[in-house]
Amino acid sequence: MSEAVKQEQVTGSSTLAISAAVAGWAIPGLGHLLLRQWSKALVYFLCVGGLAWAGLAMRGGVFGANSADMFDRLGFFADLGTGAFYFLSHTIQSAGPDVAHASGDYGTRMFATAGMLNLLTVLEAYEIGRGRRA
Amino acid sequence: MNTLFSGLTHFQALALFSLAVSATFAFLSKRDAVERAKYFGWAFLAFLLVAIGIGWLMYPFSR
Repeated sequence: MSEAVKQEQVTGSSTLAISAAVAGWAIPGLGHLLLRQWSKALVYFLCVGGLAWAGLAMRGGVFGANSADMFDRLGFFADLGTGAFYFLSHTIQSAGPDVAHASGDYGTRMFATAGMLNLLTVLEAYEIGRGRRA
Repeated sequence: MNTLFSGLTHFQALALFSLAVSATFAFLSKRDAVERAKYFGWAFLAFLLVAIGIGWLMYPFSR
């Protein structure tokens, strides 16, 4: 085990881990920024944020909270993973969704994928905050 | 900025998706910069090749 990993394990705390996870969920990469993981913070912000923005700009569908369909509910949880992008989706996507075209359909998948990717980065931020991962 | 993304072709959308997912996975799973670059390159190419391959496989059934 490297010294850096040992150091992380000593300094890790649950408060830091939860703060990093919540911040990372709200704005992709912010959790890693709090943990001083500069390169990861930048890459996650650009990739997850870029994918979410692209999905909305391509007029992809955003799943709502009160849907009767199970797959739509799964889509809602995936979309919610994008954090601030989900709550700002109507502002970013002023023209509204248009899934009748291929571009809108791709946008729906891109936005949901961005949410799932962000949840993975949130888990990583939590683990780093706890000192279990460098 | 929205007009930049709204006019993407199918291939450009695929490339953008592959780029973002490959880079995120590379940083999530690898620690070393060289390993990350290799992982990113292979994952990006695999995304493109598999998608194009599946596209060609489905082509006979499209009409």
